[in-house]
Amino acid sequence: MEIIIDGKKCEAQYGEYLLDIARKNGIHIPTLCHSDALPGQATCRLCIVEVVEGSRRRVVTSCVFPVTREVEVFTNSEKIRRMRKNIIRLLSARAPKNEFIQKLREEYGLLQETRFAVDEKENCILCGLCVRACEEMGIFAISTVNRGIEKKVSTPFDEASDVCIGCGACAFVCPTRAINIMDENGVRHLWNKEFQLVKCQKCGEYFTTREHQEYMKQKFGEDNNYTLCEKCRKKAAGEKMAECYRI
Amino acid sequence: MSKHGNRTILVCCGPGCLSNHSMDVYEELKARISQAKIKAEVKTEVKATGCHGLCEKGPLVRIEPDDIFYTGVKVSDVPEIVEKTLLNHQVVEKLLYHEPSVGRKVISPKQTRFYKKQMKLALRNVGEIDPSSIEDYIHRGGYKALGRVLSELSPDEVITEIEKSGLRGRGGAGFPTGWKWRQCARMQYYPKYVICNGDEGDPGAFMDRCIMEGDPHSVIEGMVIGAYAVGSHEGFIYIRDEYFLAIRNMSHAIEQARDKGFLGKNILGSNFDFDVQIVRGGGAFVCGESTALMASIEGKVGEPRAKYIRSVERGLWGKPTVLNNVETWANVPVIMDRGAEWFSSIGTENSKGTKVFSLVGKVQNTGLIEVPMGMTLREIIFDIGGGIAGGRKFKAVQTGGPSGGCIPESLIDLPVDFDSLNNAGSMMGSGGMIVMDDRTCMVDVARFYLTFLSEESCGKCVPCREGIRRMLEILNEICEGRGQPDDLDTLAELGEMLKEASLCGLGKSAPNPVLTTLRYFKDEYLAHVNEKTCPAGVCKNLTVYYIDESQCKGCGLCQKNCPSHAVEGQRGQPFAIDETKCIKCGSCMDVCRFGAVRIRGRDKSWK
Amino acid sequence: MELKDFSYARTILEQYPPERRFLLAILQDIQKHYNYIPRPILEMLRDYLDVPLSKLYSVATFYKALSLKPKGRYVIKVCDGTACHLKSSQSIIDEIKKVLKIVPGSTTGDGKFSLETVNCLGSCAVSPVMVINDRFYGRVTPSRVREILEEYGRLENEQTWK
Ligand SMILES: Cc1cc2nc3c(=O)[nH]c(=O)nc-3n(C[C@H](O)[C@H](O)[C@H](O)COP(=O)(O)O)c2cc1C
Ligand code: SF4
Ligand code: FES
Ligand code: FES
Repeated sequence: MEIIIDGKKCEAQYGEYLLDIARKNGIHIPTLCHSDALPGQATCRLCIVEVVEGSRRRVVTSCVFPVTREVEVFTNSEKIRRMRKNIIRLLSARAPKNEFIQKLREEYGLLQETRFAVDEKENCILCGLCVRACEEMGIFAISTVNRGIEKKVSTPFDEASDVCIGCGACAFVCPTRAINIMDENGVRHLWNKEFQLVKCQKCGEYFTTREHQEYMKQKFGEDNNYTLCEKCRKKAAGEKMAECYRI
Repeated sequence: MSKHGNRTILVCCGPGCLSNHSMDVYEELKARISQAKIKAEVKTEVKATGCHGLCEKGPLVRIEPDDIFYTGVKVSDVPEIVEKTLLNHQVVEKLLYHEPSVGRKVISPKQTRFYKKQMKLALRNVGEIDPSSIEDYIHRGGYKALGRVLSELSPDEVITEIEKSGLRGRGGAGFPTGWKWRQCARMQYYPKYVICNGDEGDPGAFMDRCIMEGDPHSVIEGMVIGAYAVGSHEGFIYIRDEYFLAIRNMSHAIEQARDKGFLGKNILGSNFDFDVQIVRGGGAFVCGESTALMASIEGKVGEPRAKYIRSVERGLWGKPTVLNNVETWANVPVIMDRGAEWFSSIGTENSKGTKVFSLVGKVQNTGLIEVPMGMTLREIIFDIGGGIAGGRKFKAVQTGGPSGGCIPESLIDLPVDFDSLNNAGSMMGSGGMIVMDDRTCMVDVARFYLTFLSEESCGKCVPCREGIRRMLEILNEICEGRGQPDDLDTLAELGEMLKEASLCGLGKSAPNPVLTTLRYFKDEYLAHVNEKTCPAGVCKNLTVYYIDESQCKGCGLCQKNCPSHAVEGQRGQPFAIDETKCIKCGSCMDVCRFGAVRIRGRDKSWK
Repeated sequence: MELKDFSYARTILEQYPPERRFLLAILQDIQKHYNYIPRPILEMLRDYLDVPLSKLYSVATFYKALSLKPKGRYVIKVCDGTACHLKSSQSIIDEIKKVLKIVPGSTTGDGKFSLETVNCLGSCAVSPVMVINDRFYGRVTPSRVREILEEYGRLENEQTWK
């Protein structure tokens, strides 16, 4: 199937997501809540585009819009730019000092927000990726709490969670680096909890928390080298492979 | 007056009359009648029914077949009703309804404009039957349609009939019901589910509640027919938890229907199995949205999902699902019973049948009404509704609840159907209709809905969560006198974006109350922003109350009603308001019969 | 936290099969019985349904019918539905706020009254409407508020109140 994006002919599979097709063809659509590993959030709405089908013209969210027909797509029409600008304006009112949002704001020629009451310390845009990441880890330490304008991400009762292993997957996926994660003197501070960091047996660098290490061992077995940091583990795997070839 | 057969006394126990203590009237009638039984020549039965509609004049009592209806009945009136009407065939004059159009009291509901102009299909049994009695329902032709469907029609024929009837969903968007069913019926994987949406989140509406309370079997019968048509064996009725009477009556009706073989295995010997259960809602407007509702039934947080794959394909637990509104389901048996052709002869070209509304606000006859589609707003508000309460001036009418918009006086002759309302920037919604007069501030109305929505948005997507929050922030500023010249443009721009970029219908329709008031009442916004006045005298920061000495008759009613002791003066002489004590509740203005209480802007030079 | 008997919660749980879909129903029953969702019961529920605590917490804070804090003995619900709002329900709320010194969503210090705003109670004909526990008050005016509240005994801050 062939669709047209911003005048360019693009090959598409039935059911493939519009955003993926655009990216494959080098067409840039801004996103925040999209992660290839954890697709389908569709909460930031930055990736909106216009889809034209005959006389029907509509705005869709490209990250979750499956292509099922030969359509024409406009990712940067005047209308889309105007709406995207307003979304960025809202985001920058929410997280005024965030560097990622600031970059978007500059890209779209917006001034620093002045009309709205802002909280300068806020960085979270509630994309939900951290919660998803925690779920995928199988931990379920954090979730969204409350609803509407009061919504936030937190642990139950805002307390240190007894299931959190401090793996930091949440902070890793966060598109705005909003999650406070701090490693200091062999201790990781995350979600109101402190974790003992462990050192890599090879290079001697702190690399993860004891709880995380235990969890991985339990889940995938002792022999998977959870005593090494990622770098050393890769290196070890490489060496092992090289050894195999030498034989 | 009839002396033969049974006599039935129908006591309205709809939500309005219940809060006027109609249950006490019902109990008293029962007690008195059993005492007086020996003397009466006809068997008399008292029934507690669903809403009769004219809530304004409640508690309502109707006596059949005599065709007498009494309004404002108090427990102390019961002996007189029994003595005069039941035993001696006389009417109790003082309880009769005064019909303004003829200027005298009338005996029968048919003589009132309120009832005469209505047409009851979805409400056909509400107020006529005892909702706890399946016999009453059957007696009025209930479950006949189901019997015919199961014994004579194929699922495909049922769907064709519904398609031909032109029935569109009564829950909001007016999606063609037959088409929805057809798509679901085509899906070849199982199980399939049917759901009744009884969440009724509109903060000013109670239609679905009245149907579920007053005629639960009509919904059940509709659902069985729908389930048969699409091939489903399991259904859910999602009811707001606050509607405890609806839940009770519905549960009871389900049990009765099972007992009689209208639900369960092998319904009426047809080999078709279907059963329903009730799910109580958790108190979240967004759970009225189809995908959020399904998440809620699954025991999850009620957050919607993107709907590029429809629920008829992947709905509840990822299975094909048909979701319809209470009123939609209640219409189904009538259509199957009387035929698509008959049904489609009612209403307009693209909106067939009738629509139930809860007509409330500053209207004379607050109540529950059902009218053919296409009736004009004027007929509804002035003929049925009896015009504006207190003789004030009509200003606007709001339809569609938080998703709808305000329609101004200039469009009063607009026919009420799905498309006309959409074109006016509003929508049909589930049927709240709120009448506003000159004491209603349109900016405050917009702010009211956005406040509601800011608490009810699920908070998942950026446009809705952040957009509503910021639009509300601006409206608050405007109402408090800190509006800025750019604000109206910002509201319009954010509104446009929300409409297109939000994830679900809540966010997409959230700007409607703002955009319509901006469109039709821009002057009022400008008065708030530029002159810092609230023309309706509602926004407290922008309003000062004062008494016009030349109009004040010194009756003292205002003084008596002021909770803050801000009215000073002696009876017989003009009163005055102490601005420093005034909390601006407007009580004085509402009670003054001489229009002596006035308002002016915050700026003292402006009078 | 005060010691309380949570054994009845077990009875509530066991009326439902241990499936996620019954979560909301169970929480509602618990809310009705205890007037709030006590934390120990949330933990009990985690084990019963095998649903992570974070998910339960998420649900319990999402739905308005559920509350994690105990409510007062008398729950005052002021309707702020559209019809009531147009008929000045806000001044009723303001007056209660003044008299009881609490804002909607909170409880008086003595645990006697909670103030809530609700949507349409279907009694728009007698708007503005308020309900205290199960008792209905129609056509409420700000000047009647104090009198109505006093039906429930002396108000806590009576003396300090001029
Ligand atoms: C925010 C929101 C709230 C809704 N609330 C309700 C509701 O309370 N009752 C209802 O029947 N439909 C409601 N709807 C519409 C439903 O999503 C759905 O379209 C409808 O129940 C389908 O039934 P119908 O086709 O019979 O109208 C709501 C939609 C949205 C977006
Ligand atoms: S539009 Fe509003 S209610 Fe709908 S998903 Fe977005 S935040 Fe939630
Ligand atoms: S990237 Fe599509 S909505 Fe965020
Ligand atoms: S809006 Fe308050 S009872 Fe209907």
